[in-house]
Amino acid sequence: MLLCSAWSCGQTHDPKMSHEKPPGVTDTEIVLGSSLPFKGHASYLGIETFRGYMSTIQHVNENGGIHGRTIRVIAYDDSYDPPMCLVNTQRFIVEDQVFALFSYVGTPTTLKVLPLVEEAKVPLLGVFTGANALREPLSRYVINIRASYYQETRVAIRHLIEDLGISNIAVFYQYDAFGFDGLTGVDLALKDFGMAPVARASYVRGAIDVDEGLNKIMASGAEAVIMIATYEPCANFITLAHQRGFNPIFFTGSYAGAEELARRLAPDSNLNVIMSQVVPPLEGPESFALLGSAAEYMALLARYFPEDKPNGVGLEGYLNARVLVEGLQRAGRELTRERFIDVLESIQHYPLATDMIISFGPTDHQGLDSVFFTHLENGRFVLIEDWKTIREVLKREGAIREAPASSLEGADIHEKLQ
Amino acid sequence: MKSFSEISLKNKIFFSILAVILIISVAIAFLARWILISSLLSELELRGFAIARTIAEHGSGYVLDRNYPQLLSLIFDGAQVKERKHLIDYIFIVDQENRVLSHTFTHAFPDELRLANQIPANDNKSVRLLAVGKQAAYDIAIPINEGLYRIGTVHVGLNKGHIENLVSKLRFTFLGFISLVIVIVFIVSHRIAKYITRPISRLTEISDELSRGNFEIELDRGSASVGWEPSDCPAYVNLDLRCSHFDGSLGSGEGLHSAPTNMRMCQQCVFYRKRGGDEVAQLADSFHNMVWSIKLYRRRLHESEEKYRSLFDSGPDAIFVVDGNTLGIIDANPRAVELYGYQKSELITKSFLELSPNHGRSHGISFAKETDARGCVLYQKVLHQKKGDKPFFVNLNARHISLKGKPTIIVAATDITEIVEKDAQLIQASKMKSLGEMSAGIAHELNQPLNAIKMGSDFLTMMMERSLEIPKDQLQLVATEMSIQVDRAADIINTLRAFGRKADLITEKVDINKAVRQVLSIVGKQLELENISIRIELAEEISPILAHYNRLQQVFFNLVVNARDAIKAKNEIELQNTGGLITIRSHESGSQVVAEIHDNGTGIQEAVREKIFEPFFTTKEASQCMGLGLAITYGIVKDYGGDIQVLGREGEGATFVVSFSSAA
Repeated sequence: MLLCSAWSCGQTHDPKMSHEKPPGVTDTEIVLGSSLPFKGHASYLGIETFRGYMSTIQHVNENGGIHGRTIRVIAYDDSYDPPMCLVNTQRFIVEDQVFALFSYVGTPTTLKVLPLVEEAKVPLLGVFTGANALREPLSRYVINIRASYYQETRVAIRHLIEDLGISNIAVFYQYDAFGFDGLTGVDLALKDFGMAPVARASYVRGAIDVDEGLNKIMASGAEAVIMIATYEPCANFITLAHQRGFNPIFFTGSYAGAEELARRLAPDSNLNVIMSQVVPPLEGPESFALLGSAAEYMALLARYFPEDKPNGVGLEGYLNARVLVEGLQRAGRELTRERFIDVLESIQHYPLATDMIISFGPTDHQGLDSVFFTHLENGRFVLIEDWKTIREVLKREGAIREAPASSLEGADIHEKLQ
Repeated sequence: MKSFSEISLKNKIFFSILAVILIISVAIAFLARWILISSLLSELELRGFAIARTIAEHGSGYVLDRNYPQLLSLIFDGAQVKERKHLIDYIFIVDQENRVLSHTFTHAFPDELRLANQIPANDNKSVRLLAVGKQAAYDIAIPINEGLYRIGTVHVGLNKGHIENLVSKLRFTFLGFISLVIVIVFIVSHRIAKYITRPISRLTEISDELSRGNFEIELDRGSASVGWEPSDCPAYVNLDLRCSHFDGSLGSGEGLHSAPTNMRMCQQCVFYRKRGGDEVAQLADSFHNMVWSIKLYRRRLHESEEKYRSLFDSGPDAIFVVDGNTLGIIDANPRAVELYGYQKSELITKSFLELSPNHGRSHGISFAKETDARGCVLYQKVLHQKKGDKPFFVNLNARHISLKGKPTIIVAATDITEIVEKDAQLIQASKMKSLGEMSAGIAHELNQPLNAIKMGSDFLTMMMERSLEIPKDQLQLVATEMSIQVDRAADIINTLRAFGRKADLITEKVDINKAVRQVLSIVGKQLELENISIRIELAEEISPILAHYNRLQQVFFNLVVNARDAIKAKNEIELQNTGGLITIRSHESGSQVVAEIHDNGTGIQEAVREKIFEPFFTTKEASQCMGLGLAITYGIVKDYGGDIQVLGREGEGATFVVSFSSAA
């Protein structure tokens, strides 16, 4: 009997036991793990994301937490390095015994830990990446919030071709899982129009040398360059191209970080840079009306991180935390990992903001589908409300040559993709 | 339990095939399982080693640099690549002090693994089966070396459950395959066995039916027999038509060549078949042909039997089937019943010998095998008795055959009574004619005693008229002489009467000398008148023969008359009347009683000697006679089993030699 009881005591990870007391959940606390780049070339993304979600979490904790539990986030730096991220994640799971993984940043890093997440059956909520590999095939434990890169590039390419009349499109991408994913998205989108990139050039992750890629793309005579790169190489590429008198339309996605890119490009503010974003831009007075929550984000950020300036990246982190809180709220006191996933899947038409409604389902692990397009104007990325205007601007600056055949009526402020 | 030899052929084939396939399948299953599973296990183990070595090679730098994130990334890449995910339970790396540097567990590292599988100092690998939590794993350890020295160890855990899963999947697939093979073989062998044995069973059924005599059974199951009618075969309908297929072997070459007209051949035989196909089909064909052959033969036999039965039943002759040993009658035809007047049942209880008077002993009928070329024995003019002892003559034709393995005699009895009677009438007529011819002589013969009596009575009358005393001795003499003359006349008349009488059916013992004398008593005077002298040289004592007196008299009468005619013919040719001489001799030589009648007439030409006994043959003038004399003589002699020959050359006279078997 004694042996028997000792044995049963030894089975601490018995399913029944864990049902009552899942890892990372105590009577007073819910522990989450977050691996982000706090150092290195992508540190801006990590830091801003961290600040964004922490604004919400601190706010929640100050107001008594969720069902009597405060949220504690353990955040480790991975410096945008996949092995580091792997070490962090194993540490979260094995040593820190977190309840869930939250708000990772970076495509290659997150993809690296994906098998581990699946094996350990730990929920991973809200990743700062639109990589397709996190969405297909559907994994029960990976819950995305933002729109995918495929969605961003597809809409962007449609605008480039149909609204701006561009047909020669080159791709500049980061030579890793993130870049390949984006490149595949571009190829697929162009294929819908019966086209292919006129040039493909890459750079190595973490490096800032873009010379070779630029030469290749310049030689191809591209009218537009889609850049699947973080803000640093993006900025380098654009600056260098401008110096050499190569002025195509530069397109980049949400991954670049609008504010940081704008900051780095500020001196050449009349560059033709278009950026897609998965959260509405905070710049410009019209945006505040769009996103009620943005005001709350800005208020919370100002309160907890007064030195920081509100930005799109942080806003995404903030929104991730909002979804997390909503999920934990709905899951109730009897919190388990499985229940948490079930609850998240049950969220339907939940308005994060006035016009940002999230929906999940057992086969839909992506909450938002919104893509917003911004144009760099005077050192800021401003929401494009009418593509006709952009066309005129670009035409004036000589980026595009003549009017496309199609009419440009009825352009949207942002695209809803289903 | 039945022994193997007792079960049906179908089951033999079926079970044999099944057993062989089962044994082969089981053998293959075991062999393949052994080969596959052992190779699978070793292959998986080799994969484990390969992974471990790769990690050891790539990881040595990270261990030295203490770059543990890269090391972790490395082992995760090693463990989490899609296909390996299930095979590899875990990977971990320890340093030389067996401290864990990196591992792929998603829970706390199970410390018991750390030292569980250590590589022996003199080896560079080690495999052990370890328990990991609830599962078991093959722990493969490979050292990480820097130069000569070990700086750590890679442990790769192969999931035993996964391996067993693969193995069991393999087993299951194999078992399923073997089962499928067996099921297919089961069905196939069942069908093969059935296919082979069904025609045999069918043939057995047909054979049984045939044994029971049912020849109307349908031979064929196939469509080939549609419209199959025995009457379609010409040989079946027409029994005279020989069939090349079925009679060819019997008649051999002879039938084909000697009687080509009978051998009409069908262009294509409707029934005889020799199709292609396997042995079973050929057997069926052969059987079919055999049955058809039997059918044809049966029909022919039936027809033949009917034919002979009708011959037997309605033939003009009485036919008896007689036992060869006891001579008992086995069967008799209706004609026999009619002829003999007995009921068939009465006949069958009799011996054949009982049908003749004295039980046939007098006829010497023994049916001994004194047969002619055709295997037949002919007994002529056999005297048989009808019911009520009424005698009649038959010719018996006997033939020995074998019936049901026993010697049997078929006897055909032809009623010849009428013929015999006609013969007798003919003989009688001939006799009367001869008597007529002889009437002058006979009259003269009678005249002599009458004259003597007349002279005697005249003498007595004259003596009475003259009233002369007749001396007593003279009276005595005259009375005696008259009496003698009356006796002589009476004798002649008796002889004539006997000669003219028709013969009885039954023979008697006859003395030929007496017959000769009686004939001479009739014709002697006639011959004297014609200047023909007769010399008689009869044997003193001679054995009797079985005959009739008056017929024998006729033989000699005819021969003597014939001799007289020859002498008269010679006299006419030579125009002189030299004395004719007829010599009659008799003697006994052995068992034969012989009589010779010699004349010194014309003799008989060599050319006609063969023909003289034929009826209606004559050398005389047509008006004078019919040419039946010698033919009748011949017939009578033959009737008594005797023989008659003629000797002597033309111009020297002729000698007729008559011989009979002695009855003594």
